[in-house]
Amino acid sequence: MKDESSLVVQAQHGSEAAFTQLVEAYQTHVYNLCYRMLGEAESAEDASQETFLRAFQHLHRYDHVRPFATWLLSIAAHYCIDRLRRRRFSFVSMDQGDDGDGLELPDPDAPRPEVEALRHEQREQMQGLLLHLSSVDRAAVVLRYWHDCSEAEIADTLHLTVSAVKSRLHRARRELGRLWHEEGMRNNAGRRRHESPAF
Amino acid sequence: MNHQPFEDWLLEDEPRTVQQERELQIHLHSCTTCAAIADSNLALHSRRLVAPAPGFTERFRPRLSAWRREQLRRQALGTIVLVVAGLAFLYALAGPSMQEAIRSPAAWLRDITVYLVALFTFLSVFGQVGGILLRNLPGLVPPAAWFAIFVAGCILGILWIVTMRRLAGAPQGV
Repeated sequence: MKDESSLVVQAQHGSEAAFTQLVEAYQTHVYNLCYRMLGEAESAEDASQETFLRAFQHLHRYDHVRPFATWLLSIAAHYCIDRLRRRRFSFVSMDQGDDGDGLELPDPDAPRPEVEALRHEQREQMQGLLLHLSSVDRAAVVLRYWHDCSEAEIADTLHLTVSAVKSRLHRARRELGRLWHEEGMRNNAGRRRHESPAF
Repeated sequence: MNHQPFEDWLLEDEPRTVQQERELQIHLHSCTTCAAIADSNLALHSRRLVAPAPGFTERFRPRLSAWRREQLRRQALGTIVLVVAGLAFLYALAGPSMQEAIRSPAAWLRDITVYLVALFTFLSVFGQVGGILLRNLPGLVPPAAWFAIFVAGCILGILWIVTMRRLAGAPQGV
């Protein structure tokens, strides 16, 4: 990819080709955020496309001082938060996981298959638990742990103060721990129910 | 040691000393709440990015083109509406006088000349009165009032600059 800032400038002058290169470069980041926020591959695809379209429409507002990725993720996060608010009262199935079109990127440092299988299971479980968090807390967690954003970058992206981000992350992680504990207890109870009394 | 510091350690991203790590590991064997937080932390840190299905950019291009076509269509429609409305407005304003001009051009020319002379006279009188006022006003208004006006202007200017800076510094977004 050519220099990012020159591509942004070209795109600001209306070059679709330059913008397409930016889409190519950031599609995974934007899609991952949307997927983690919405929990469905189909909605994530639609939300990421809408994010890029909005970015193109409002490219003249982009401030070059700010990293382009943060600006894009900010649009994606706000779009997903709005979308979640709109469907707040509709039911979101916890089983909606990786059954869509999303592709989990391979880990080049993958450990042994059984360890990798366990981690995969944990990631699936975590994706399900994420959907229990409020939309803003979820966005903060995803930006922090999936996109390695600093607290200041999250604050900038979600239009919050740094202290608000810290407290949201703290609260969200405690909540995730609690849900993880409950899920573990439920799984253990289920396993015990299906075991033979003779053993 | 009680449960709380261990939970705080787990919920903070700060690095731990060897001693703290050892104490935490001992605590995790006896506390299911902290063990669950530690496990969820592990799952958060073993996160993996999910990529869209292949061909994302190819699927995006038609959407962008459709949006651009829609924008052009809206712009064209807006221009047409504006031009038609402008012409209609002009016709409503100038229609009667144009009909009159066609019927009797001499009378229309005379009316126009009278109107222009009246306008010129009004502007000239207005300018003269304004000039007289400007020449005499400084003497009529006391220096304290001028000072108050100047200070009020400065305060308003500062307020305006501060407001603009604060608005311009607001986080950008869409």
